[in-house]
Amino acid sequence: MDFSSNVASQLNAGAILPEGIVIITLMLVLIIDLIVGRSSARWLPYLAIAGLVAAVVSLGLICDSPNTDAFLGSFSNDNLGIIFRGIVAVSTILTIPMSIRYVQQSGTSLAEFISIMLTATVGGMFLCGANDLVTVFISLEMLSISSYLMTGYMKRDPRSNEAALKYLLIGASSSAIFLYGVSLLYGLSGGETNLTAIAAKLANLGSNESLGLAISLVFVIAGIAFKISAVPFHQWTPDVYEGSPTPVVAFLSVGSKTAGFALAIRLLVSAFGSVTEEWNFIFTALAILSMVLGNVVALAQTSMKRMLAYSSIAQAGFVIIGFIAGTDAGYSSMIFYLLIYLFMNLGAFTCVILFSLRTGTDQIAEYAGLYQKDPLLTLCLSICLLSLGGIPPMAGFFGKIYLFWAGWQAGIYGLVLLGLITSVISIYYYIRVVKMMVVKEPNEMSDVVKNYPAIRWNLPGMRPLQVGMILSLIVTSLAGIFSNPLFTLANDSVVSTPFLHSAVVTQKASPETIQVLTTSIQPELDIVTE
Amino acid sequence: MLSALILIPLIGSALVGFLPDKEGKSSRIIALFSAIATLVINCYLGLHFNTEISGFQFSEYLPWIEWLGLDYSIGIDGLSFPLVCLNSLLTLIAIIITDRSISRPRFYYAMLLLLSSGAAGAFLAKDLLLFFLFYELEIVPLYFLIAIWGGERRGYAAMKFLLYTAVSGILVLASFLGLVWLTGADSFAYEALRSQTLPIGSQLLLLAPLVVGVFIKIPIFPFHTWLPDAHVEASTPISVLLAGVLLKLGTYALLRFGLGLYLRAWVEIAPWMALLAGISALYGASCAIAQKDMKKVVAYSSIAHMAYILLGASATTRLSVTACVFQMVSHGLISALLFLLVGVVYKKTGTRDVDSLRGLLNPEKGLPVTGGLMILGVMASSGLPGMVGFISEFLIFRGAFPIYPIPTLLCLVGTGLTAVYFLLVVNKVFFGRLTDGLSSLPPVKWIEHTPAFALLFLIITFGIQPAWVIQWSEVQATALLTGG
Repeated sequence: MDFSSNVASQLNAGAILPEGIVIITLMLVLIIDLIVGRSSARWLPYLAIAGLVAAVVSLGLICDSPNTDAFLGSFSNDNLGIIFRGIVAVSTILTIPMSIRYVQQSGTSLAEFISIMLTATVGGMFLCGANDLVTVFISLEMLSISSYLMTGYMKRDPRSNEAALKYLLIGASSSAIFLYGVSLLYGLSGGETNLTAIAAKLANLGSNESLGLAISLVFVIAGIAFKISAVPFHQWTPDVYEGSPTPVVAFLSVGSKTAGFALAIRLLVSAFGSVTEEWNFIFTALAILSMVLGNVVALAQTSMKRMLAYSSIAQAGFVIIGFIAGTDAGYSSMIFYLLIYLFMNLGAFTCVILFSLRTGTDQIAEYAGLYQKDPLLTLCLSICLLSLGGIPPMAGFFGKIYLFWAGWQAGIYGLVLLGLITSVISIYYYIRVVKMMVVKEPNEMSDVVKNYPAIRWNLPGMRPLQVGMILSLIVTSLAGIFSNPLFTLANDSVVSTPFLHSAVVTQKASPETIQVLTTSIQPELDIVTE
Repeated sequence: MLSALILIPLIGSALVGFLPDKEGKSSRIIALFSAIATLVINCYLGLHFNTEISGFQFSEYLPWIEWLGLDYSIGIDGLSFPLVCLNSLLTLIAIIITDRSISRPRFYYAMLLLLSSGAAGAFLAKDLLLFFLFYELEIVPLYFLIAIWGGERRGYAAMKFLLYTAVSGILVLASFLGLVWLTGADSFAYEALRSQTLPIGSQLLLLAPLVVGVFIKIPIFPFHTWLPDAHVEASTPISVLLAGVLLKLGTYALLRFGLGLYLRAWVEIAPWMALLAGISALYGASCAIAQKDMKKVVAYSSIAHMAYILLGASATTRLSVTACVFQMVSHGLISALLFLLVGVVYKKTGTRDVDSLRGLLNPEKGLPVTGGLMILGVMASSGLPGMVGFISEFLIFRGAFPIYPIPTLLCLVGTGLTAVYFLLVVNKVFFGRLTDGLSSLPPVKWIEHTPAFALLFLIITFGIQPAWVIQWSEVQATALLTGG
């Protein structure tokens, strides 16, 4: 084998083709905006969507590739990463249509907003596949810094500024903590940055260093929990969600969170594979706190965005159940739920954006009697919220029941029962909004709804919003009943991802075999992938 | 064929919901048509149903979500067939007695049909998870039906119903998940799970949440508090459906899953359940005596009458279990009739308060036909011979007495009290001098009484010829007890 082909196979640059497409789209958006000026804002969003769709298609093309290592092992191209990258990209595809009208109405530049959002997407996608501490940190920062920028994008709105500052301060400190944990990991593993190599080194760690390992684990989890906004690292969520532009919130609640979960799986299962018990324990605590606190505090919210913030905290708690289960079924139920959560949550946010575009408010009380004036919005928001609450036959019901089923099979009854109980609580606050819209009589209608503007879909930027809304409505109501393809997708990606399997084996093996297994992971990887 | 029972109301509901309907007439017609169509299919099934064999008939199977072990598999047997018929009949009646000028007719009929479809699905399901899906499916439509078209405190009552039923749902789900996990089965199919041989301890552990969940739904004291609220606030057609069909979901699950899956554990806790049934019957009856609202009286009498089913199910004799199915039908018919008539009185007089009504039986100015029907309904409910209530209650007591004499005696006292509270109501409301405030009542149209006459006809027919109902379930009841 000659040198150049050897380098090419080591680099395996095709693995980041989707990210490449997104980066090219991003640059095109920037340059075209620079050359053509503001008039290009009419079609730039569609260019961005086209680029993202192309990225998703290319993800489909590169899946099942035999050579999963790219860039000398610092980026992994396995199917698990691919599906997470897909979820991040699709969440942006759905977020852009809802932001066009919103950004234009606020009088800020659309092209810049889209380019920042694409940057965040690239960061998120890289994070889903990152297999090296340096890649992990850089892509994490890329995602975070673009998110700070986006939250403060409505620069004339003091609340948006406040949200950005809060997010920046808390986010930066969490990044610092995460980096500290990572640096400890680097030291403990004797200077390795590759996650697989770290796992092998950590397995042979003596008992002296176990304290260091524990500190490193806790710090890393703190960083991840901040991204997925699990209690007690959630304090930023309600304030940031309330103050930021709503499309940004939609992205944070789905895209950013998905990337966080991908990071959690990769970092904890592969690098911290030798301390599975410990991080299982920590994540159990996070799940319990998130489900209880998220659902209970959501009951008291009067602002729709704050309610959705707490609901997203609670939903993260549900997803963690699948993660702790640690089985194939657990991981695929997680992916399945995230796929469905993507549509139902973004659908709900689209409706909230539409309502606030037409009325200028997010207060739950102001939704009273909406069915009279806007039946489509009412239907879509009701379906999405009922799905989030897990009412059959909506998609959320199937997602939730599969998470609980996987958790139950893995033997974490306590968590599953808690999940069941807290989902009853969640039905209450979701249905409260539905009740507000549907049940209230015309004479109980809120003033805002009384003065509801005539529905016009032909305003610039409204059509894509409508398309996004109806798409999420259809997927949310039908994806559960016809869930076989989606599930097969989730399951195949988990089954064909080697590092999860070696981890699954490790968990069930006796202490002696762990060492053997973890040290022999590297050569086995090649065998498994073939 | 069976799927049509689920699909026709479902499609009807979608049609009503999405077709434009300016005058509010076509929704009612579509709803009526789908209800009649399901009833016709029921008649067809009845003609071809083989009463000689146990087990499911007309089964249909479609693989659905394999990874969850959830299959679309439905069928009817002697346990579910009478209830499916009851559901179709009462849905039709509920649509007929709905006010023609009801507000938001499209949404109303769509929800009503969805409710009927959900109940039918739950009765037909042969898969535990499928049952749960339909069991949960009826919650939201019923929530809306109470919360939008209900009385003054409808929001409170609807939310209370929703939360109680949701809790009941998760308890049932937890029990199902546990059963499948403990047996190591790879699907939720009912027939396969019946042959489980779990140790008695785990069976008890699984039976407990199921029973508690179902007690909330039936409802059995002390889990009953949502029912009086829901009934009082719901409009008449919804009360008819709630009492006639939806409460039966609870007792059906009790027999189908409690008794059917965990027979050995069932026998262990049966004495306690029988005692609870006795207490519940007495409690319901005593509460009914104290009520001033006619609808509340009927609601509490519902609690008492549903408790007899629990008594019959705990006794686990062939006679008592057969009688349980019969009592479900009989209670469905009688309580529907009573709610319907209370609805007529309320509509004409504007009140249900026992103290402010008087002398409605007055042949010229009052509501003589309603009063007459009410007296017959009350007779049926208190178990007068010749009516359906007598046979079903007598059979239950006859089957349960040798096994649980004291709880049966408690229930017998409850039956005696039924006569007391209903006679108190009838005496105050229908006899005596018509008060002046009520003297110019609008006349009752014959169409408003037709459903009541139809129900009364069935009540008397089945009272004289009980074999027509019992023949459906006799074989299946035996099979349920022998595990066959």
